[in-house]
Amino acid sequence: MKRFKIGFFVAGVLMISFLTGCTTRLPGQPTEAERWRAPTDVTDFSQLYAQNCAGCHGVGGRLGAALPLNDPLYLSFVTDEALRTAISKGRPGTNMPAFSQQVGGSLTDQQIELVITGMRRQWSRPDELKGVELPSYSVNGIATSNSPKSATVNDYSVNPSQTSDAQRGAVAYQTYCAGCHGVNGAGGTAGSIVDPYFLNLVSNQGLRTTVVVGRSDLGKPDWRSNVPGHPMSSQEIDDVVAWVAMHRQTAEATSVTATEGTRAVSLQAK
Amino acid sequence: MIERLTRIALWIDERVYISKLFAATAGHSVPRTSGSWFYVFGSGTLVCFMIQIVTGICLALVYVPSASEAYSSLEYLNYQQQLGWFLRAMHNWGSNFMVAIMLAHLIQVFLFGAFKYPREMTWISGVVLLLCTLGMAFTGQVLRFDQDAYWGLGIGAAMAGRVPLMGPAIVHMMLGGPIIAGETLSRFFTLHVFVIPGTIIAIVSLHLRLVLTKGINDYPVPGKLVNKETYIEEYEEELKKDGVPFFPKAISKDMIFSGLVLLGIVGCAAYFGPAGPRGVPDPSLINTAPKPDFFFLWLYGVLSLMPDYLETVLMLTAPFIVIGILFAVPFISNTGEKSPRRRPLAVLSVLFIFIVLGVFNYLGTFAPWSPHMEAWTSAATPVNYLEGRSPLERQGALVFHNKQCVNCHSLGGAGGLRGPTLDNVATRLTGDQLVRQVIQGSGNMPAYGKNLNPSEVTALVAFMRTLHSPTESPARDSTRSEQAAAEKTPAKALAQTGEMQE
Repeated sequence: MKRFKIGFFVAGVLMISFLTGCTTRLPGQPTEAERWRAPTDVTDFSQLYAQNCAGCHGVGGRLGAALPLNDPLYLSFVTDEALRTAISKGRPGTNMPAFSQQVGGSLTDQQIELVITGMRRQWSRPDELKGVELPSYSVNGIATSNSPKSATVNDYSVNPSQTSDAQRGAVAYQTYCAGCHGVNGAGGTAGSIVDPYFLNLVSNQGLRTTVVVGRSDLGKPDWRSNVPGHPMSSQEIDDVVAWVAMHRQTAEATSVTATEGTRAVSLQAK
Repeated sequence: MIERLTRIALWIDERVYISKLFAATAGHSVPRTSGSWFYVFGSGTLVCFMIQIVTGICLALVYVPSASEAYSSLEYLNYQQQLGWFLRAMHNWGSNFMVAIMLAHLIQVFLFGAFKYPREMTWISGVVLLLCTLGMAFTGQVLRFDQDAYWGLGIGAAMAGRVPLMGPAIVHMMLGGPIIAGETLSRFFTLHVFVIPGTIIAIVSLHLRLVLTKGINDYPVPGKLVNKETYIEEYEEELKKDGVPFFPKAISKDMIFSGLVLLGIVGCAAYFGPAGPRGVPDPSLINTAPKPDFFFLWLYGVLSLMPDYLETVLMLTAPFIVIGILFAVPFISNTGEKSPRRRPLAVLSVLFIFIVLGVFNYLGTFAPWSPHMEAWTSAATPVNYLEGRSPLERQGALVFHNKQCVNCHSLGGAGGLRGPTLDNVATRLTGDQLVRQVIQGSGNMPAYGKNLNPSEVTALVAFMRTLHSPTESPARDSTRSEQAAAEKTPAKALAQTGEMQE
């Protein structure tokens, strides 16, 4: 009987404290953090990045199929305007899709700004690059005009500058790139960079960015470390991009591969 | 004073016969053997139902059954109203417990042969109660009016729409119009709050009345057979010889169990909290993976895994067959053995159904009903699939994301499960076969020929050709090597051609 009384007492105290809400939060009570939010209401950078960017640019901005965004060098190299354009309108003809709601994407303008400021806040290290003279983001310092001409046609709007020269680029290539990409660019340990199929999927700006910033996450060199102690000059960067871009497939060649594709299909069907 | 109160009580009793009612119900005699721990599930279900009524009434004070306000009234309960979340959690867990305990009751009744003569109608009314409870569970899920509710209802309507000739009319009646809207919610609110609970109260009355008139099933003894001529006499003899009053003897275990059920519901509600609401029911939000509550998860598993050619046939016949069998149970086996020790078939069928439902529930938790719509921007390619790859192959990995292949095909466990996982695809398909599959599609996979340019196809296939374990070599086309060999020895090839021409 005594045990019953104690039991009743404990139960009563628990009940009263529970009903008056003066105890600590019960584990089942939903928190604000668990509250469902519409995708357009998300304002947390980590969540925005994880949902929209991590697929291609890698978890935490590194080791993805596309270039790493968690790279202080890249973030110093690229302008806010270029980032904004690339995220909102995409890079037509490449695998970078448009994210702005105005062109059918999923992010609001405000969220795009949050992504840009978030990347800069978390991953920028301007101090590390003090005193380093970076090549300009686009050729001759001209900002990228990314007006999509057609979604299916590659965006080659960043044409090699008037002064760039593929012939000179071939020479620069032998100096800086041939060690990994092979003498003619078609192989070596790092794989072909003159494969027309590859070139059809990247813009000249993309080539330029890769030449300048490399891929630090994969241990690939930037413009300073291709030949240690001998950085590429702006002119050499322009020229190498012009030389690589020269190998891009022409329209005729594309139609040939289309036929090949069809042939493969018809063979398979048989 | 006491005398006066007694007189008032007697006056009331004389007019409404409370004591007689008590003697006829709680005081009636039951077999001593029925005071068993196996006999507590029925009353447990009833306790759950009462909890549902009380919490349901409280919820109805706040809930607004309109398409625009239902969701926000639930959010109000969850985040603003003091203990509103607890009320929702109690109702939710009450429903879970009710379905679970009802199933236990069903299994116990089946295994103990309690459906046999003369209790056929008790069983049939019980089956109606089971259907009503599942109806309550489904309509309750709809009242949550979140994404799960919306798509669950959409699936239900789509299945009803497959009925020949009458399909569209049934859907119209079910939804109160051609689409899920405010009228739909009103209908389900009416069903959940008035129609089905009213039916349950009526049928429970019948169910209990039958328990009273036909008696609680005596504890089955192996070898004691049910015989229509002698059963009732034997039962009454047992009552006379060894009967105990239902109250307080037999009911004690029920009361302890009911208390435990109540504690269980309160505990689960306090610890696990309410369910949802999970997202506004906006059909334009496609980044959702709706799932039903656990009692329909097995159905979800079956529907998402069955081959498409079986869909219509199974959907339109299986429910009737299953329900028909449930109703027919007391007529299939009406007399004879009651004890599960002498009814191996009954025990095996319970085990079989239990395992089947369990497996489907398990599969239903991750059955790939819809693609993972966010995977293309959120599921990163495993790092080891990118290391040492050429620029073209890495572009292929980007095409794999940009064209949303990953929404249906997973890599390294990340991505959708609609299509086969592609971790080892290079060992299954040659380059040509991959090109064909991408361009033409097959089975459930759409043709992507028009959405990819040749460079994208080439890059994508180049990437997929690298997807194999280091110990396995990629699939190769045997005709290629033949061809190459033939090209190396032109004389032989010529001879062969000559032979063929002959």
